[in-house]
Amino acid sequence: MERRNFIRRAALTLASAAGAVLGVSFLRQFTRRLGKGNRRVKVGKLNDFPVDTYTFVEDQKIFVYRDHEGMRAVSAVCTHLGCIVQHTEDGFECPCHGSCYDNKGEVTSGPAPTPLVWYRVAKAPDGTFIVNLDQKTDASEKFRFA
Amino acid sequence: MPVRNSDLHNDGDINSGDGGSDSAGGGVDGGNQTGGDHNAFGAFDSNASEGDHPESKIPEKDGSGRKVIKTAAAAASVHPRRRMSQNFFLHIHAPKVHPFSLQPGYTLGLGIILGFLFLIMIFTGVLLMLHYTPSVSEAYNSVKEIVFTVPGGRLIRNMHRLASNAMVLVVFLHMLRVFYTGSYLGGRHLNWLFGVVMFVMVLLMSFSGYLLPWDQLSYWAVTIGSNIAASARELTDLLGITGVFDIGGFLQRVLIGGETVGQTALTRFFMLHVVFLPVAMLVFIGLHFWRIRKDGGLSRPDNARVKKMEKIYAWPALMWVELAILIGVVAVVLLLSFFIESPLLEAANPTHPDNPAKSPWYFLGIQELVSYSAFSGGLLIPVLFLYFLISIPYKDKEEEFTGIWFSGQEGLKVTLWSAIAAFAIVVIQVFVFVKWGWLRDWFPGISQWFVLLFNPATISTGGFVVIAELVKRRMGSTRMAALAMFTMAIVALIIFTVIGIWFRGANWEFGV
Repeated sequence: MERRNFIRRAALTLASAAGAVLGVSFLRQFTRRLGKGNRRVKVGKLNDFPVDTYTFVEDQKIFVYRDHEGMRAVSAVCTHLGCIVQHTEDGFECPCHGSCYDNKGEVTSGPAPTPLVWYRVAKAPDGTFIVNLDQKTDASEKFRFA
Repeated sequence: MPVRNSDLHNDGDINSGDGGSDSAGGGVDGGNQTGGDHNAFGAFDSNASEGDHPESKIPEKDGSGRKVIKTAAAAASVHPRRRMSQNFFLHIHAPKVHPFSLQPGYTLGLGIILGFLFLIMIFTGVLLMLHYTPSVSEAYNSVKEIVFTVPGGRLIRNMHRLASNAMVLVVFLHMLRVFYTGSYLGGRHLNWLFGVVMFVMVLLMSFSGYLLPWDQLSYWAVTIGSNIAASARELTDLLGITGVFDIGGFLQRVLIGGETVGQTALTRFFMLHVVFLPVAMLVFIGLHFWRIRKDGGLSRPDNARVKKMEKIYAWPALMWVELAILIGVVAVVLLLSFFIESPLLEAANPTHPDNPAKSPWYFLGIQELVSYSAFSGGLLIPVLFLYFLISIPYKDKEEEFTGIWFSGQEGLKVTLWSAIAAFAIVVIQVFVFVKWGWLRDWFPGISQWFVLLFNPATISTGGFVVIAELVKRRMGSTRMAALAMFTMAIVALIIFTVIGIWFRGANWEFGV
């Protein structure tokens, strides 16, 4: 092979490799980073949560619900456009565009496309309840008191 | 400066790029019809002798009674300030303008008003920047300082906000004027495109500035806006591909640097608002003016009457007109700023949205659409609208309609009927929606696909497209179809905006 052809081919190969790396890293921006991260937040102890009540944990934007059997945690962020929902008698309501959810977080009316997100609840050895914001679950699952 | 024969044009006629140089004196010379010794500016040719150009044709005095400069010697005797201002003016403007373009009822002066509003924005913006701090902990307090402590701060802030609202309104009206006078025709498609880009930039500049005070209005407006960007997830979730292709998340990350509005968003929006967008805007304004020159000035009808009208010198006639508009715009903005206060609610609280949490008035139309479906109303329909705007000069090339408001009587009828049709289509749907509910109320648990595809935004758009196509077929004219489609889209946008402003209250409930 002539020297100039070799140089040309080598340059093209390197440029293609660089382009491929750039392309893949660009496309990776579109991939959702699911399952990565382990955001576990402490929300409080048992006495902080009255029975049969949804308690709003402000800094995490979640509601924690305690009943006689256990604890559940649901996101307070409306799945429509990110406003904070309020708890009502029938469930949850978003003040921004009127999306309504029932007590299980299912959409009953309004523009919200998906139900509210439920998170897994665990208990730390010191008795503090922990909500894992990266582990989603459904409304029927709860942390059961022993 | 020697002038080549190839530089010579007919008097005042700018048919192609006329960035030719001025002579040193910048003198205004009367051109002659044969194009003798004058370059494209009609400016003085230092190589020609006195006897070469008929000075008898050049007026002695200009419109303001001052002596017209005819020779280099005469130019040298004029005060440098006058020469410089005239020189600067004539670099931006053509040396001669067509009197048709000067009619106030034709252009309504909207473009130039927009330009001056932008100057006010820059001036007041720079003053505000002296005192503003773009940090989550300090932004709100710095704005309060500007309003309550800095001398003149309240007025400057009011002017800035008022002029920004005025810019949004005037850019919209300017687009309407350009469209309805058929000014995208006659080879002006590129300038129309530049205009659409600038329309989007004005909205972005206003939106990015909205976040900076970091009050409740700011925070929730941008939260909703960034979630509109993320609303592509509504579609990718339905398709089940969000895990591998999360375009919504990507757009949101580009916009606010994460999933929630915080310091990254504020830094980013501040940079966009004070650096990137103003610089980009200036570039496009330059391009816009360049295209006006290249396209032979502002649009006008191509009929015998207009052709017979003689062009007049831009200096000083146009200069006086523009100066008057500048003074008028500044006066109105200044006066209104004494009375109209810019709102400043309490500091941003990420856990408690205002109720109702409304975006700025110019986005309330979109917010109304978004309240039916985030993806349809926030992404699909606005993108389709932009696509439609961009495509207009490529689909409609009926040049005979250039420069005529509504393209004559027939076009006016099409416009009025389209407006009525759009009004009926939109209002009937919204009142059905409000009184009897919509799909999810009638069929609980219905698939999100139906909610995404069938809502007042999509149904109206579909209806308009059908009507415009029918107009095109029945009348055999793309211009008439464009008039119909554009009018329906604009009327619908106005109605949705009115609903968003006056008919939506707490919890976005419909109330009169």
